[in-house]
Amino acid sequence: MHRHACVLCITPPHLLQEIARNGSDLQRETALRTIITSEQIRGQRRAMRSVMSFLAAISAGEKQRIVYDAKQGSQLPGTLVRSEGDPAVSDPAVNEAYDGCGATYDLYSDVYDRNSIDNNGLQLKSTVHYQKGYDNAFWDGTQMVYGDGDEDLPAEQRLFNRFTISLDVIGHELTHGVTQYEANLAYWDQSGALNESLSDVFGSLVKQYQRKQTAAEADWIIGEGLFTANVNGVGIRSMKAPGTAYNDPMLGKDPQPAHMKDYVSTIEDNGGVHINSGIPNHAFYVASLEMGGYAWEKMGKIWYKTLTDKLQARSTFQDAANLTSEAAAELFGTNSLEQQAVSKGWAEVGITVNGGTPGTGDGCLTSILRALGLAQ
Amino acid sequence: MWITFERSGGIMGRKMSLALDLTNLPEDEAQSLRLLLDEMNFFALQDDLPTSPVPDGFHYAITVRTETVTHTIHTTDMSASPSLRALIQDLSTRARTQRKPI
Repeated sequence: MHRHACVLCITPPHLLQEIARNGSDLQRETALRTIITSEQIRGQRRAMRSVMSFLAAISAGEKQRIVYDAKQGSQLPGTLVRSEGDPAVSDPAVNEAYDGCGATYDLYSDVYDRNSIDNNGLQLKSTVHYQKGYDNAFWDGTQMVYGDGDEDLPAEQRLFNRFTISLDVIGHELTHGVTQYEANLAYWDQSGALNESLSDVFGSLVKQYQRKQTAAEADWIIGEGLFTANVNGVGIRSMKAPGTAYNDPMLGKDPQPAHMKDYVSTIEDNGGVHINSGIPNHAFYVASLEMGGYAWEKMGKIWYKTLTDKLQARSTFQDAANLTSEAAAELFGTNSLEQQAVSKGWAEVGITVNGGTPGTGDGCLTSILRALGLAQ
Repeated sequence: MWITFERSGGIMGRKMSLALDLTNLPEDEAQSLRLLLDEMNFFALQDDLPTSPVPDGFHYAITVRTETVTHTIHTTDMSASPSLRALIQDLSTRARTQRKPI
């Protein structure tokens, strides 16, 4: 703090702005913090507005993508292989991660006026080639991480391709970052399934927006292209028809329900976060189809407003239904076609908007933790 | 010695498991697994989990049973030590090549 105060006293504002534009990451951060702090201290609201305009000007619309290669190891982030503005490289996984981050950034920026994961220009960091034979992708709290699937097995045994191959998976992982900065939905039981569902919703919208597909034209598949030809499946989840994405002798059957009557109570997978997400996923699909046109324009805006302004860490499916309806009314008017479509979406999965007292979202996992005195 | 391995979570949320009886393995493979377990002092390991779950991260449960002792640990990619990661890599590869629906 003392060091910042000292800079505040000595460094002239125009120089601070120069550092904020062109300095190293640390210098930029320090300069920006100093600019904000100095104006806050002075209490100059007009000056603050100009600072915010300045900050927007140096960050808005600027993607900052960076891709690393773990070279089949576990060390993150790995070796730097492509930065923003660099030309494509010969490794398709690197280019897919880079381009997928770009497509995701574009949807959030163009449609929802959001500047990156944190809405403040956060650098989008990805690592590809994580471990050997790693059939997964995840968000570690600061970056995306992608495995290569079954690259280490003979071709006839491979079930998974590299995970960057699927644009909606990239959008899915980045949206975990957005959720972390916004509603921060707790990753278990219903709030965890909502967290997963929001990643599927915006992951699918990234793909639809890039392909300029209407709700009726879109495939609503998550993980398109992830499976090799050895698998009887079209992807890892279907928002249009949860439970039907795959049915394979080696992988089993897609376990997702599409209705509350089939809700799965389990302690596995953090209380079934990837299973029960089928329910809110399908609600979004039905609402989007009911509305027609491009899903990102109406339903996407309603879900985005709900994610950023309304949902809370322990929100339930019932809360999500009530709050998306509320967001629809605020954006498009009470009893608008949009609000009616939202109600229809939730009704189709067995949830009536404002139809009851929202539950606690407790599932098996929370109940057990509560019994052990480990949860409130 | 017997080893059971369970992997859950991940972007698919799909469970995968493996049960190994080391006496049924080729001796060099069994020996290599025993060495790995000794190297990391498996029976003294504690659960090593992040304070909050990593979205789409894998969760691993490994149980090793001998004639006299049984020990289970839970861990993740983000929290496992290098030697434990090597064990997870070995067991994951075995599980992936004998995938069966649960």
